[in-house]
This record gives sequence, structure tokens and C-alpha cells, in this order.
Amino acid sequence: MDFFTTKNLTMKFGGLVAVNDFNITLEKGEIVGLIGPNGAGKTTVFNMIAGYYPPTEGAIVFQENIIGGKKANEITKLGIARTFQNIRLFTELSVVENVMIAYHCRIHSTFIGAVLRLPLYRREEKMMYEGAMEYLREVGLDDLALEPSGSLPYGKQRRLEIARALATGPQLLLLDEPAAGMNPNETQELLQLILRLRDNHNLTIFLIEHDMKFVMQICERMKVLDYGTTIAEGTPEEIQNNERVIKAYLGEA
Amino acid sequence: MEEHHRRNQILTVIAVGIGLLFLYGAQEYATSYQIRILNNCALFVILAASYNLINGVTGQFSLEPNAFVAIGAYTSALLTLTPAEKQLSFIIEPIMWPLGVLHAPFFISLLAAGVVTAFVGFLMGFPVFRVRGDYLAIVTLGFGEVVRVVANNTQTITNGPLGLKGIAPHTNLWWSWGIAIITVFFIARLVRSSFGRAMKAVKYDETAAEAVGINAFWHKMLAFTTSAFFEGVGGGILAHLITTISPTLFTFFLTFNLLIMIVVGGLGSTTGACIAAIIVTFGGEYLRFVEEPINFWFIHIPAIPGMRMVIFSIILILMMIFARNGIMGTKEFSWNWVLNKIKPVKIFLRKKP
Ligand SMILES: Nc1ncnc2c1ncn2[C@@H]1O[C@H](COP(=O)(O)OP(=O)(O)OP(=O)(O)O)[C@@H](O)[C@H]1O
Ligand SMILES: [Mg+2]
Repeated sequence: MDFFTTKNLTMKFGGLVAVNDFNITLEKGEIVGLIGPNGAGKTTVFNMIAGYYPPTEGAIVFQENIIGGKKANEITKLGIARTFQNIRLFTELSVVENVMIAYHCRIHSTFIGAVLRLPLYRREEKMMYEGAMEYLREVGLDDLALEPSGSLPYGKQRRLEIARALATGPQLLLLDEPAAGMNPNETQELLQLILRLRDNHNLTIFLIEHDMKFVMQICERMKVLDYGTTIAEGTPEEIQNNERVIKAYLGEA
Repeated sequence: MEEHHRRNQILTVIAVGIGLLFLYGAQEYATSYQIRILNNCALFVILAASYNLINGVTGQFSLEPNAFVAIGAYTSALLTLTPAEKQLSFIIEPIMWPLGVLHAPFFISLLAAGVVTAFVGFLMGFPVFRVRGDYLAIVTLGFGEVVRVVANNTQTITNGPLGLKGIAPHTNLWWSWGIAIITVFFIARLVRSSFGRAMKAVKYDETAAEAVGINAFWHKMLAFTTSAFFEGVGGGILAHLITTISPTLFTFFLTFNLLIMIVVGGLGSTTGACIAAIIVTFGGEYLRFVEEPINFWFIHIPAIPGMRMVIFSIILILMMIFARNGIMGTKEFSWNWVLNKIKPVKIFLRKKP
């Protein structure tokens, strides 16, 4: 059985076919890219996988669970975490609280246990705090733990969002344009970070990115979408030399 | 995470002790008018703190507390009235079995008020949380009215418009403030736990909350049901304070009063809700004179009933425009904060020769 598969995944918004017959299979531990011009349907693919849009047609299977139609929080609990193209932190809360919130789905205490501060809850609260600090250390934000997350610069917000996604304990991580808004230096750091996280947490990573240099460096293989249709797939070299991809990006004359 | 945990616990115990001493003094020496205001303060602390849990902390703007308080008030009153008293009151139609024969002590009746109201809140949550934002406000507002109309028309349960009279005046300062302390303690601890963090996540960004595995629906339900429980208990306290209840008592005005309190206190702050509950209760008493006829030399202003409500509404409007964060914003009381405020004073005093 494959680790993760989609079959003929299709999303229609009224008359608009945003994604058409999208098929992909991910092996454990891979880093796979999804690229394509603006409005190609990339984020829509993520939204279907993560449970935000119920697919109009097709199936998604993750570790033998059919996840099409499940709710977003259920899919996260099954082990698929995501970040957002337009960063969505809880900006009013502190950096460490953002990560602790993501731990909430992993605790066993009841709310009564939490109110009475029973031993199980106290253990879990400690575990949440220490675990969150550990994830922050990994992405290099531990010294900012008590800052309001909204006050962080853009690049750090992106890394915090990754730490928060990790705290849900995922096996598959979906990153929607993680390098957007970063300078070349930050992008290189991000690249090292993603590789390190993949190795430390046995992650499989599926990412959307417009920064071609970054994608070509980090991905082992990739898919190209244009107007919702898959127009190419293969290794970075194959994609770089693909006629249809070049046409899609440059626009047909 | 929390610094000086032990010291803060001791300070809390001391503060509660001082509060209890104060209550003892009040119960012994204060006039019945002063005692009534103090009871009202406790009652509104209970109601505002629990209303804030769903509206402020979880960010689900809803307008149903009058319904919850009504359910709690009727439930507990029907339990503490003796079967003979009930038979006497229900003159138009006899009371329904088994309500007529049930009889329970005050504490049990409060607990029952909480449980019954929480159960109603739980059931109500399923349809209500299918919608968000403005629609949620409208649906819950409708629910509040429905409960009132039902109370008016279910003659064999509520005695209709006649209401229930002769309820024993069990509510004294010990009961009202005892329940208020338990309520605030419970809610503050819930908010400061992982569950409270999850509720705040739902308030700030429901989409992101779902992405990190938080079931937004169930956390709204948790906040709503908990809020219903304590509002029901508050209803019981109310019924045994004023000893006569009828459907007209539970109009939208009650909800509106609570809304003013949680906005003035700062939506999302339990501390703020408590402070504002006390300020608004005292303020309401203080402002009583505006509803009486006023004579300046030659100008005569006749009595205007409802004038206080106008003033409160104006305060609410001004706050929404100029001071949306209220007294506390989303901050909470903490001993660390108080001691940090006192520190400069201490240093200043020490420096003086
Ligand atoms: N909820 C929605 N309702 C209607 N149309 C939508 C919705 N979401 C996306 N679309 C449309 O679907 C198409 C694909 O959008 P999508 O956001 O997936 O593109 P994308 O590849 O992520 O683009 P970008 O690189 O700009 O992020 C667009 O035409 C968009 O307008
Ligand atoms: Mg996109």
C-alpha cells in the first residue's frame, strides 16, 4: 500500500475547473514539489488534501485511510499538517502559545481534569510546554518564545508556522510557498531547515513554491499544474527542459 | 511556566480570607439595602463571567443568557417550593406531574438548575453552531425569545404569566459570593488551560485552529455548555434572591445588561467581566436618581423610567467607538502583575530618609 495517493482528484467551483484529474503518489521520506503559474490550482490541491474543500470527484488515501470528505481537524489528527500561503498565526498570542495550541489535539486529559489540575493534566501541560520549546529550538525561535507572534518579522513567522505544524505530530507536511517573502539568505536557511526536519522527524514533504532555484534544489521530483491540469512531472532536470512547462510559464505567443 | 507559584497561592488564600471576613461583617452589620446590592454584584459576576466564556474567550457572539438564566431560575424554584405551596400557586391549571411532588434542598436545586440548563445549552448548540457571526447572534436571540414565550404559555410547568411566588429567600451573601467564587475559579482555570488556549485559537482564526487539529465545533460546545451551566446556577441564585419570578423578568434586557458588562470589562477577560459586573451594578444603583423627578430652581424634569438604560447604551456606544478594549482588554489579573506595580512604590518608600 502506498503512503499517500490521490486518484482523479477534481475540484470545480461553479463552472470553473480549478483542479482536474490530479493523481500523485508519495513515498515515505520524499520531498516533492508542486509548481505552476498563478491560479493554476496548487493551493486548491492542498485545500482538498487538508480537508478544507470536499473534492468534487476523486479519492485521497493516506496510510489506508480514505480521507476525502473528512474534516480538517480529523485529517490533522491522522498525521497531515499544513502551513498557509498567507501566514495564519494566532497573532495575538505568544510564540510558544501558538505551538502549544497545536499540541492540544495530542493530550488525553478531559476539561474537568484540566480545571482541577489533576496529575495527568499537569504532566501533559509540562509536556506541551517543553515539547513546544523543543520545536522552537529546532526552528531557531526559542529565544522569542514569549513575544507576541504577530510582532515577528515575516521570515520568522513562516518558521513559526512550520514549528506549529510540526507540533501536531505529522507524517506528511504540506508547505504552501514556505519561501515566499524571504531574501536569498533566509531561503537558503529555510532549505537546510526543511532537510533537517525531514530527517529528524521522518517526514514526507509536499510543497508549493514559486522560487524555482529553491524548488530545484530541494525537491527530488515535482509536478507541474497549469489551469488545473497536470502538464508535466519528473525530476528537476526533466522539468527544466520540458517544452510545455516553459510554454506555460512564458505564456503562449 | 508560572513563576512564584507557591507565593501566589498563599496570596490568593489570604485575599479570599479577607473577602470572607468582609462578607461576615456585611452579613452582620450592613443594611438590607446594602446587602441586596452586594448580592446583585455576586449574581452579575456569575452571569458576566460565564457569558464572557462563550462571547469573549471563544469569540462566538451570542445573545441567549436571558434564556439560560430563566431555565435555571424556574428549575431551582420549582424544586425548593414545597408541594403544598405549588398547589396553592397554580390556580389556573394544576402543576404537571412530577413537578408537583418534587422537593429538594437549595443546594441540590442549584445543581439541578445548572445541569438542566447545561443540557438545554448542549442540545441547542447543535443547530446554533452550524452558523457563524451575525447569523449566530440572530439565532441565539431568537432562542432567548422562544424560551420566554414558552415560559409564558406552559401553564402547567411555569404557571404562565403569573409566575412563581413565595420562593424561600435562601440567597444570602455566603451563597451568592460562594457560588461567584467557585464560578470564577472554574472559568479562570478553564481559560488558562489547554482547552482555553484552544478556545482562543477558535476565536482568533478558526481555519488555522482546525489546521492544528482543534475541533472548533466541540470547543464552542464546551464553552457554550459550561456557560449555560453557570448561568443556570445564577438563575437559581436570582430566584431565591428576589423570591418572585415571572417571564417578564427574562427579557432581552437582561442579556443586554450582561453584554454591557463584558464589553466594558474587555471582551475575553474574565477579570474584566468581574470588575465590570461590580461597577455596572453599583453604577446602576448610583444612577437611580436620573429616573426620579428632578427639580432645578425653576426647571422641572419629570420622572423618566428607563433613563439608566439610555445612559448605559450611550456608554456602550462610546466604548465601542473609542475604547474597544474595555478595562482589561484580554488581560487577566495576576499577582505577579500586582506585585510588579507595587515594587516601584516600595523602592520609593525605602529611599526616603
Ligand atoms: N473558494 C473558491 N471559490 C471559487 N474559486 C476559487 C476558490 N478557491 C480558488 N478558486 C479559483 O481556483 C483557481 C485556482 O486557485 P488556487 O488558489 O488553487 O491557485 P494557486 O495555484 O495556488 O495560485 P497562486 O500561485 O497564485 O497561489 C483560481 O482561478 C481561483 O480563483
Ligand atoms: Mg496558492
